[in-house]
Formats: sequence, structure tokens, C-alpha cells
Amino acid sequence: MKKLVNIDWNKVERTIGGLKFAVIIILCFTVAMIIGTFLESYYGTDFANRTVYKTFIFMLIQFGMLMSIIFAAFLRLPPKKRLYGFYTIHAGLIIIGVGSMITYIAGVDGVISLAPNEPNRQVILSKDVLKFTYPEEGKQVTTELPYSAFSKEINQEYEGINVVEYIPFAEGKFVWAEPINSYPEYAPIHSSKYFFKNPFASEEILLTLHPESSSEFLSSQTMGPLTFNYMPKNLAECFALNNPSGIIIWNSERGDCFTPEERNLPVKSTTANNRFVVVPVNGKLITFFPDFSPFPVDTQFQVDQKSTIRSFSKKLFEEKPALFLFGDRLSYYSKDSKKWIVENIELKGKPVSLPWMGAEINLLDHQERFVPFKLPVAVVPIQKNGVVIKGDIRAVRMNILGREYWATNYSPLSLIIGGQKVIIEVTKESLTLPFELALTQFKMDKDPGTNNPASYESFLKLFSDGKMTNHHVFMNNPLKHQGFTFYQASYSQDSGGNYSSTLAVNVDQGRFLKYLGSLMLVLGGIWHYNLNKRKKGAQA
Amino acid sequence: MKALIISLLVILSFNFTNTASSAETFFCKDELETLPTQQGGRIKPLYVHATEVMKTLTGKGKQDDVSATVAFCMLSLNGMGLPTENKLMARIDHVDAMKFLGLPEGEHSIAYETLLTREDDIRNEARRTDTAESYKKSMERLFNNVFLYKEVKAGNNWHLAEVQDNSLTWVPLITYLTEEKVIAQKQLTPVDPFLPVLMRSKAVYDQAFGTRYMVELYYAKAGLPTVAMLLSILALASMVLFKNFNIALGFSGLSIVVQIALITLRVIISGRAPITNMYETVLFSGSGALLLGLILGHFKNEKIYVYMGLCYNVCTLMMINFANGMLTATISPLVPVLRDNFWLSTHVTTIILSYGALALSWILANTVLIKRKLGKMTRKEEATHADIIYTTLKWGTTMLAAGIILGGVWADYSWGRFWGWDPKETWSLIVLCFYTAILHGRYTSWIKNDRFMTVTAAAFMSVMMAWFGVNYILASGLHSYGFSEGGAVFLGSFFLAQIIILVITLNPKDGPKEEFTPAV
Repeated sequence: MKKLVNIDWNKVERTIGGLKFAVIIILCFTVAMIIGTFLESYYGTDFANRTVYKTFIFMLIQFGMLMSIIFAAFLRLPPKKRLYGFYTIHAGLIIIGVGSMITYIAGVDGVISLAPNEPNRQVILSKDVLKFTYPEEGKQVTTELPYSAFSKEINQEYEGINVVEYIPFAEGKFVWAEPINSYPEYAPIHSSKYFFKNPFASEEILLTLHPESSSEFLSSQTMGPLTFNYMPKNLAECFALNNPSGIIIWNSERGDCFTPEERNLPVKSTTANNRFVVVPVNGKLITFFPDFSPFPVDTQFQVDQKSTIRSFSKKLFEEKPALFLFGDRLSYYSKDSKKWIVENIELKGKPVSLPWMGAEINLLDHQERFVPFKLPVAVVPIQKNGVVIKGDIRAVRMNILGREYWATNYSPLSLIIGGQKVIIEVTKESLTLPFELALTQFKMDKDPGTNNPASYESFLKLFSDGKMTNHHVFMNNPLKHQGFTFYQASYSQDSGGNYSSTLAVNVDQGRFLKYLGSLMLVLGGIWHYNLNKRKKGAQA
Repeated sequence: MKALIISLLVILSFNFTNTASSAETFFCKDELETLPTQQGGRIKPLYVHATEVMKTLTGKGKQDDVSATVAFCMLSLNGMGLPTENKLMARIDHVDAMKFLGLPEGEHSIAYETLLTREDDIRNEARRTDTAESYKKSMERLFNNVFLYKEVKAGNNWHLAEVQDNSLTWVPLITYLTEEKVIAQKQLTPVDPFLPVLMRSKAVYDQAFGTRYMVELYYAKAGLPTVAMLLSILALASMVLFKNFNIALGFSGLSIVVQIALITLRVIISGRAPITNMYETVLFSGSGALLLGLILGHFKNEKIYVYMGLCYNVCTLMMINFANGMLTATISPLVPVLRDNFWLSTHVTTIILSYGALALSWILANTVLIKRKLGKMTRKEEATHADIIYTTLKWGTTMLAAGIILGGVWADYSWGRFWGWDPKETWSLIVLCFYTAILHGRYTSWIKNDRFMTVTAAAFMSVMMAWFGVNYILASGLHSYGFSEGGAVFLGSFFLAQIIILVITLNPKDGPKEEFTPAV
């Protein structure tokens, strides 16, 4: 077959191995890096990786550099003594390049989170994936999401789920959404938005009882010493009764309530002075200890957490400031008049004064059945002081049976398709280790007399091949096992004060080559300049 | 009990007879400066801590006619109810902050006592999110200073060693100075029972741990940075103005000895490589460059190396002495990740020395550019200088490559990755790329002498960006432990000045006209 284009390979070699190409490609690389560092500074590491460092173009530039280095060396063959240093430098660079490629293709770079005494073998990697879990079948399917900095159309169909779009950086925009499931008329699923103000602070507070609401919306909230509790609207009636026992029995499914006094149910005390009340429900008798738990206990004294009939003891909320909200009514305990006050709050009306240091509250919005929802909207992330403060939501838009659904890294989507339950979550690709790690203790030393950490240390148990060994991982002292290396990377503390440890996990097959190349590069540099010097000395 | 102490102190204060001096200092004497105190995670002499506190609060160590130690002591006594006179003034530089505090134009100081009454306002201003970043920062700093002032004034900032249950603990003055101790001591020294009680904390500490911390007192009092700066300036003046190379060499030698002493003392005090914050890196690169200049000058028999070394050395020493807002001399404990003396001393030292070597090229390139513009440069001189620059570039670039690689190995060893596109890493690679491009261009005569000076001078801006810019401008990523404030303005001025020089000297026609091909 006749060649369509005659390529002068010698010329190509001379161009790529030539100096101009070298300088130009180095400058391209440099400019890209400069842009990358500024993007990172403003928009965060992940954004910079997705726009510069881990893009195809940047890889191409690096490949171009490698080609330039290789050709430049080839052009200067056969070996000349004066160029030995030069060959060593270029060979070193080529070896570093090959080592990096091996790391890129085969290496593992992830993190493992270890909660105290919970064995784990799951390493979180950097790729975004969409994970479908079918709990009934015990099946899990993951599909990779595009590694991009901006929203991307996907349009992939999987078992009736059409994955439409992926937004890698999103912010939630508040909307009232249609509920996915249908609920009976009486179901307490309402939501309210309040505006709370005191002389020191003001805040919008959204409280909801809707089971489908985004995970950041709850039925209670705290603000300093004050707690806000959102309850089914009908319960306000029972609060207003001011029954002597202060006990309310209510139904969480229907949202209605009664007091023991109304039904002449006696509130008795055990010998240990614990109050209890026995309530007949559908012909059965159930017992509540309202001062201990909202849930009833059975005859074996087992707590039934599934019960929809619950108790509530107002006495528990008389000491600390607690505000109960029922949509357009509110209630609090007045220490002056020693009783519970119930007041109306008019929608968009005048603020209601509260008994705590000049505080007041407004009702801004109230919805009976709509779902408070944060609709993900694509944004450019913002980083401040090393923390991403905007755009840390990764969201996937899906179309299922003609309706739009969202799953994010904060709130997975769970629904029933064709009678089958499925949980869809946006998460990171993970890798299962062939052995297991457990954190026995996390230790953080402080510099004497200060709160500055001086060291982070993890004491680990490693379970491998039926054997258990103890290890101690801290800064500059990693754990190596079966080709994996574990480094102390980070830590976190839960509300109970327990420390969890985060370890960086790494497998790097290119390590030896990178070290070898580096050594050659430095030695070559010294050699090269020494040779030149000697030559110049001979000239003089 | 506190009230008792107060009354006791007040009564005792009448016992003091040294009313000759205008201000009453009670038992606050300069002897106290040798007391060990625990602050910021380290043990240091009170003199050092008091000076740091006074500098933070007022911008200067000595307060009017009393030393920092006495001023600190007197302010601490306030917490015990002694009516010490105190006129500590905060320095306000931000225009909006001055406006907010109601200061008249041109008036930059305000008494801390006045600020105390407005503490809540200042906190609210510092927490506002709708203001300019610089204003917010200056209010935050002011709020922190007011907080520190309050802490000192309450007697809580001065920690003294005391034996409790057979172990040495550190307690604030307010807890340390109890009535019993003073009364017991009063039996022995009726005139001044306080000083011996305080000095006992030193005896207790010294007995248990020795007096190693005293090195810092001598270090702080010696004022070595100033001595070194004067010596270097004298050396430079002897060389440039009086053209006496031998005297210049003598002063340079003295200066380098002082600088080595300075660096060594810091190593002894901190127990680690002297390159852990901006102050130390600037100092180290300057000294390294001077040393390199002297060595190269000796072996190559070329005086210009000494000139380059001295010029850069003077620049760095001036920064150390005058740029207190940007470079703080305070020795603090390291963040955990850096606590590895081997890697710290190899990786950072190599990088900083390479910056020093590249700075030499930058000095000479700018000198040639300016001299050429003024018509004081022959073609032959330019060629010689180009060769000298080339030599320093070779040294600098090789060391930089080695330093980056050492950093990669360290990162691999302690974080589990050789390279992670962290801003500091990336910028050091950018510097390497710029200089590699220049070396390649020079190697094959693509960049001629006329342009060589310009690109070399310009390339140093990348060093400044990697060195200061990442911390002061980008300030993110794993290397942000070196972050400090006030550097952005400095860096901006540096870039501006360098660009102006480059633009003015851009036209190579001013210089020698004949073509020159360097020998390679």
C-alpha cells in the first residue's frame, strides 16, 4: 500500500529532540503548573486536579517532555565522553518517567478510616462511583462517574434507572419538592421554616417531620443552650392541657395524642420511685416509663423501638430552655407561672416573644406535604484557609419512570423499583484489602502547656492469615504489609470524644525506578558540570 | 484569699524606698529575666517571653525607660491588684481600623486600657464577614492582642515552675504567688520577700533540668543579627565604595563567623535544623550564599563572587532585622510532620542553599543590567559575568533538583507519595523548569548574553514565588505550616521593582554591540 503522507522521520526526530521543542514543552509544562497552583489556591485541590494536573492535556505535555528527553539523547549518540553526564541526566529522567507511569497505572493511593475497635478492610480510592445496592438480593453494582471538573451528561440506563447527569461540585439550593411516596391524609409530615432572633444572633431554622427530606433537615436543632423540637401539629392540644402528670401518649403515624388523665389511666410509681403508666392499645396492654424512654417496654422489659405509640414526659424539659414547635403553634415551660404555655405563631405574622433573654421567633413558611429539599446546582468550588467552603456536594441526577431523582454524597437515594428496594449512593471507589486492620488506640500528644498537637499515633491490630499482630503507626513511621504501606494521615473526633484515625494507603511498584532515576539525575548533573569545568580548565 | 494578697501587697509596697526613680516598679527587677517560663510549648527565659509579648502588643520590646521584663512583670502584677502604672499602647496601621476606633488621622496608637472597654465591639468586627480581608485580619490581630493583654494583666500569662506532689508543674503567677509563701519569706527577708519567692522557681527548675534554657537569654541579648548586618554592610562598603578588597574580605569573614554563631545558637536552643520558618530560611540562604560566594571566589580567583555573596547577604540580614511583621524570630515547636531531623536538615537545607546560589545569579544579573544601562560595562566584562552567572546557575539548579528529589523521598517516606502536586512542590518544580529552560537555551547559544541577564534576573521571581509566594499568596496545601502574614505586600513590591528594572534595561542596544558566543 502506498503511503499517503511521507513522513521524514529524521526530521521528526530532530524536531522533537531539538532544543526549541525542549524549551517550548518545558514552558508549556511550567505555565500549566502555574495555572494549577492558582486554581488550587482558590478552588481547592480536587478542582485543580480535575482541571489541570490529572487531565489528558497535562499528561500529554508530560509525555511530550519524556519524548523530548529521549530524542535529545538519541540524537547525541553514539556516546561521546564529554556527554556522559548528559546521558546520565536524561536516562535518569526517562527512568523517573517510566517509574511514574508504572505508579499511575498499577499503583494504589487511598485512605482507610479506622474507628476504635472496628475492624476494617475497605480502602477508599479517588475515583467517583455511583453504587446501587439491592439489599434483598444482597447485590451491589457500581458504575464509574466521569472524572471532570464540570457537570457532565451521562445518559446511561441500568435496570430502569437512567443516570442523566453528574455534577462533581454542587451547592444545595433550597426548594419545596413533591414527595416521592404517597401518604395518608392524617400523616404528620409537615415542615416549617422559622426565623429565630436574639440580641446576639439570628438564624433561619427549618424543621421537618417529612421522611423524604434531605439529610440536613431534621426535627430538632440546638442553638447554644436552647433546643428546638418540632412535633406533629396535633400534639399542641395535649401540651395546652397542662395535665398534672405532664405525660402525653401519642401516635407517631397518625400524629394524635391524649393524656393519661383524659382516659383515667393511673400514673403509678415503682418502689424505686420511677413513674410508669399502662396503656391499652388494640386490646393489648403496653407499659411506658416516660421519664426514661419514649418507647414502651414489654412484659420481659424489652424496649420496643418500633412502636408507633409513644410517650412523652414534659417534666424532662422544664429545667433547660426547650422550645416545642408545632407548625403554627409553639410551647415552652414558663418558670414564672410554673406551667406550659402554648401560643400561636401567625404565618408571616408578628414575631412571638420567648422567655429567654429577649429572644423571638417568626414563622416564615409552612408546608403540609411538600418535602424540604436541597436541589444540587453546579458551582465552581471555593476554598478558604485550606478548606472547601462551597461546592463540596457531588450529585447525580437520575430519571426513573419519568420522574427526576437525586443522589448525593451526603444523601443517598433509597426507593422501590418494581417491588425491589434499591439504595443509590454517590461515593468513592473502594478496594478490599486481603487483610484486616483495627484501631485499638489513637494518641495525640500536645506540646507542653499548649493545645498544639506534637504527634499523632495509631496503635493497630492487624489480622492476616489467621494471625494477629500489633503495630504502631505515627508520623514518619509507616506500617508495611503485603506490599501495602500505611501512613498516619489524619484523624477525627466524634461527638462522644472518641478518636478515629485515618491512614493513607499506598502501593507503589514504580518506587525503585523513581529512586534510581533520581539518583542518576543528581549524579549526572554533578558529573556533567564537572566535565565541562575540566574541559574549560584544559582550554585555559 | 486573693483580696488578702492584694492588701498585703499594697501595704508592702510602702516598704519600698527606692522612690528616686520616677516609676514605681515594686519588686519587678531585671534579675527576673533569668527565670525559666513555659510558653508556646517550650521552656525559655522570662526575658525572651516578655520581649515577645511586648513586641506583639506594642511593636517594640523596651517600654519607655523600663525593660520588657519589668514591663511584663508590672503588667502581670496588675492582676494581683497592685496599682502599677501602665501605658501600653497598641499600634494600629489599618486605615479602617483607625476609623473604627475613632483615632484621628496620623494617630496610630491607642492605649490597651481603652481597647479593653471596647473588647466586644472589636470581636464583633473581627467576626464580620462582609468586610475586606485585610481589615478583618487586622481586627482579628487586635482582638488577639487585647486577649493576650488581658491574660497578662490577670497574671495568667506568666508561668512559673513549682514542685507539686514530687513532680515539676507550671503554674501561672496568680496561683504561684500565695500568701503563705510571701509571709514565710518575710521572716527571712523583711524588705523584699517577693523576689526570693519568684527566684525560687528558677532554683527548683535548674535543679531538676539544668540551665540549658539560659543559652537563649545570651542569644537574645547578644543582638547577633544586627552585628552581622553591620559587618556585612561594612564589608560591602569597603568593596564597592573604598575598593579595598582585603578589608572587605576581613569584614566578610567576621560577618560569616557571627552568622554561623547565630545559626548554631538557634540549633542549640531549638534542637533541630535551623530552617523551620521564614526567618530561619532567609537567614540560612543569606549566610549560605555568602559562604558559597567566598568559597567560589577563592577557588575561581574571582572577586565578583564575594560581591554577589555580600550583596545578597546584606539583603537577607536587612530583612531579618527590619521585616519583623513578616519574619518572626520566635522559636516555636514544629508541627508533627516536620519532626524528623534527618530529612529536615537534608531536604530543606539543599533547597534553601539552592535558593541562595540562584540569588547570587540574580544579584549579578541585575548588577550587569543596571551597569550596562548606565554604559559602564564592556563586552568582555559582560561575557565574564555571563560565565559567572552560568556557574552559579549550574550549582543552584543541581542543588534544587537534588532538594526537590529529597523532598519527594521524604514525602514518600512519611506521607506515602513521591509527588502530589502540592503548591510548594509544584512551585519548586516550576523554578526548576524555568532554570532548566535557561540552561538549555544558554547551552546551545539560543539565549545570547544580552538576553541571558534579563531572563536570569526575571527567573528569580519564580524563586521568590516558590519561597514566599506560596506561603503568603497561595497559602494552601500541606506546606502551609510556614504561613505568616505581611508578606504579600513585600512580595508585590519585589515583583514590581524587579519588573521595572527589567523594563528599563530591556533594550540591549545600550550595551555592547558585537555578537558573542559563549564557550561551552
